[in-house]
Amino acid sequence: MTTLTDAPDTAASDRSQTFPAPKYLRVFGVGRDRVVQYAVLVVVALFVVAPIAPILYQSIRSKPLYDASGVFTVDAYVKLFTEAGFGQVILNTAMFAVLTTFLTLLFAIPMAVLVVRTKLPFGRVLATSMQWPFFVSSLLLGFGWIALYGPAGFISVEVQRLVGFVPWNLYSIPGMALTEAVGLAPIAYVFCANALRQSDASLESAAQVCGSGPLRILFRIIVPLLRPPIVYASVLIFSMSIETLSVPLLYGTPVRIEVFSTFLYTHGLQSIRPDYGVLASASTIILCVTIATVAVQAKVLKNAQRFVSVRGKATRPRRLDLGWLKWVATILIVIYVVFGAALPILGLVLRSFTLIFTPLQSPLKSLTLQNYQTVFTYQSYVQSIVNSVVIAVVGAIVVSALALIAVVVAKRSTFRFARAVEYLALAPQAVPGIIVGIGFFWAFAILPGGNLIQGTLVAVIIAFGLRAMPTAFGSISPALMQIATELDNAGRVVGADWVGVFTRILRKLLVPAFAGALLLVFVTMLKEYSAALFLSSANSNVIGTTMLELWVQGNTGSVAALATIQIAITAVVVGLASLLMKEKKDA
Amino acid sequence: MPDIRVSHMAKTFADVSVLHDIDFEVKDGEFFTLLGPSGCGKSTTLNCIAGLEDPTEGSIAIGDRALVDRAKRVYVPTEERNLGMVFQSYALWPHMTIKKNLAFPLNIRKAGRADRDARIHEALQKVGLAHLQNRYPHQLSGGQQQRVALARALVYSPTVLLLDEPLSNLDAKLREQARAWLKRLQSDLGITTLYVTHDQDEALTLSDRIAVMFDGVMTQIGSPRDIYEHPATAAVAAFVGSCNFLLGTVEQLRAGHVDVRLQATGTTVSIATDADWLPGAPVTVAVRPERLAIVAQEPGSRDLNVLDTEVVTTAYVGSRYEYILRLGDIALQVVSPDGSLRGAVRLVFGPGDAHVFPGESGPSTEALDLMKVAV
Repeated sequence: MTTLTDAPDTAASDRSQTFPAPKYLRVFGVGRDRVVQYAVLVVVALFVVAPIAPILYQSIRSKPLYDASGVFTVDAYVKLFTEAGFGQVILNTAMFAVLTTFLTLLFAIPMAVLVVRTKLPFGRVLATSMQWPFFVSSLLLGFGWIALYGPAGFISVEVQRLVGFVPWNLYSIPGMALTEAVGLAPIAYVFCANALRQSDASLESAAQVCGSGPLRILFRIIVPLLRPPIVYASVLIFSMSIETLSVPLLYGTPVRIEVFSTFLYTHGLQSIRPDYGVLASASTIILCVTIATVAVQAKVLKNAQRFVSVRGKATRPRRLDLGWLKWVATILIVIYVVFGAALPILGLVLRSFTLIFTPLQSPLKSLTLQNYQTVFTYQSYVQSIVNSVVIAVVGAIVVSALALIAVVVAKRSTFRFARAVEYLALAPQAVPGIIVGIGFFWAFAILPGGNLIQGTLVAVIIAFGLRAMPTAFGSISPALMQIATELDNAGRVVGADWVGVFTRILRKLLVPAFAGALLLVFVTMLKEYSAALFLSSANSNVIGTTMLELWVQGNTGSVAALATIQIAITAVVVGLASLLMKEKKDA
Repeated sequence: MPDIRVSHMAKTFADVSVLHDIDFEVKDGEFFTLLGPSGCGKSTTLNCIAGLEDPTEGSIAIGDRALVDRAKRVYVPTEERNLGMVFQSYALWPHMTIKKNLAFPLNIRKAGRADRDARIHEALQKVGLAHLQNRYPHQLSGGQQQRVALARALVYSPTVLLLDEPLSNLDAKLREQARAWLKRLQSDLGITTLYVTHDQDEALTLSDRIAVMFDGVMTQIGSPRDIYEHPATAAVAAFVGSCNFLLGTVEQLRAGHVDVRLQATGTTVSIATDADWLPGAPVTVAVRPERLAIVAQEPGSRDLNVLDTEVVTTAYVGSRYEYILRLGDIALQVVSPDGSLRGAVRLVFGPGDAHVFPGESGPSTEALDLMKVAV
């Protein structure tokens, strides 16, 4: 540095030429900042209230919403528990959710500890394959499991032939829970793995210096430190399994095991004259339960953050060597990945290219494209594929953009209702997909102009968008928190208002996070179908609803073909996107 | 260049009061520093002036323009205050080149293209970085980033310049040079400057005047010399420069002097003072290490105070030696060019070299504990 010798050149400065202070238009003291912030609040609030309000209202009306002659009553709730047998449904749901949570943690925690903190052969391959099931919807996973382990499944038949009986029954609550757990384990895994990666290496080094061996460090230091992510993951998994539809629908319907979501499905869609009161009152009760679990989630997370200390310069912890145990661990993980996710999906893909899928005849003998032909001959099936893609693309853009603005309002403004925007944007995670569908169906039915939207793709995009909103918000929000507030403040001081700081600084800095949100919302919306069950007409079906239709008709070959197409679309988009992002990063 | 006037400003977060009755004025062209330990409210004061925080009471004006006046419900948002500010982290926008960083405020002010480019060039030249205008912030060193941040704050000729610890992220050596450079730049531009720091050396060397803050209160405002030579409280004496504190009780008051009997030794020292002291009142005598002279024999003058001490440790710090000496059960800090002192040492200081503060004030109890000499 030779700054000492650079005399500041002030000869050229002309201080008479100062600018007036920037001025922004205000109408009754309200600038455009506030207008944008209120607009975001109103949009997000409408988004959340629109589907929920009609349900709450319907649940205490004696007649359907559009019938003005109805009166206020609690009859629907009485009927729900007497005639409709909702008590048994609650019991089934509770058993299913508890078992799913338990199994998920049983898979996820040991795997996270082993993969992240110990030396495993092929550790990196195992780490990535652990996350595969995330990209496949639980509906597809269910189809795949039935193809393999169902009563007439490939492996079931093979086992029957070898030992004379099938030692399991997939169409049961434990069966459902096992499949669901395989599907949800990646989420719990990611929570634990992230916490493990961020944990302070010196805590372990300290134990090592005191003379502890690897196993003692594992059980005395590493696992106890995981308590916060475990608690959070279990609450999250519990609430997700309460609202899930796919697996209980596929496994439970043939044997009449009903949980929350399948109860709504059968009473709303399969009965000839659906009882709106029962539907609404059941939805209300389910909403209360899911909202409670999400509230617990929020509280737990708030406390959990106190434990997790992320330090900027945290050294990466060394991996522990478990000796011969590492081979046992590797084999267990491989069994989970292969039998839980890889084989069922492979089976599903194989099924799509065969006419009959059974070990009694080599599938390679009956290779055919006929399943795909069936799909592509019917205009409505092709339409549903196009619809899914259009919905996912449009939805990804709209939802990510809305989430981006909502995050900035919630986290970087002096707006009085900033917290409200955040809560509203995250609230939809408490609303099960099928209830979103019922709610918007009624909302479009009673709102003026709603009939223009009812049954169109727009309706489906709105419903799916609501479901994906928390995902988008949650993926952009941490990225914004990483951007120092001094960058905003610097913009304000030099004369940009809040809107100016957003459009010219924050928006540009959030481009990578926005791209991530786009991809995430695309994948989420492509998988989504439960909210469309009530909303879509013949013209606005999506892949998921078409698959269910074909499944009910017994056309499993075409289901497998559609499932394969959905997986292919996801794989291509995710592959392209990660290539693109990688290139961007290198450039 | 206008002056800054802050009157009776207070700020509370929920129930916690972080600023009490802050009242000061920065004169036209003055370099004014807010100095204090972290959490004292100096940055909050600066942010209130910038409009990044909102005072609960009081008013702020620059020149004859009121920015905040709680009583009259006046509040000008940050972007309309026309201030220049340099942040601790520099806050250069990472997605823009240096030139675009500087163009941003000019575009908002709708400067013409030629005017804009001329101003950018001129501002960068002032900080000696005109050749780097097409670089991105991350391609510059910390010192260069700091100068770009300053250029960005000056490029639109703001009314006043606010600096929030702009040198704290630089290396110690570079910081000293940047300090001298900043001082010259400020006096050449003649821009009214409000500077926030916790570094006493920075405050002393840069400022025309300093305000020392503790716990949201402005304890003393004065020139660097005032603050150092005549600290208003023991806390100021302890924070600005180093200081020895001796607890004692007032013995008697006579003609501009007070005699204090020291707790540590039982001997009496005489200190020059204007204030009235009640005999028997507990007081603290503060004397800076460089004011304690080391003598070998009996002092010639009877006016000088004498402390008989014993060497505990010696530390060589290059330009001088720092001694810790035992006086009774407490430790004293003294500096000397002579590194050979051992055993018993006699210290003397004149009545004008020390200050008396009421009560047992001074450093924290934790610091006092550390100063106790284990026997």
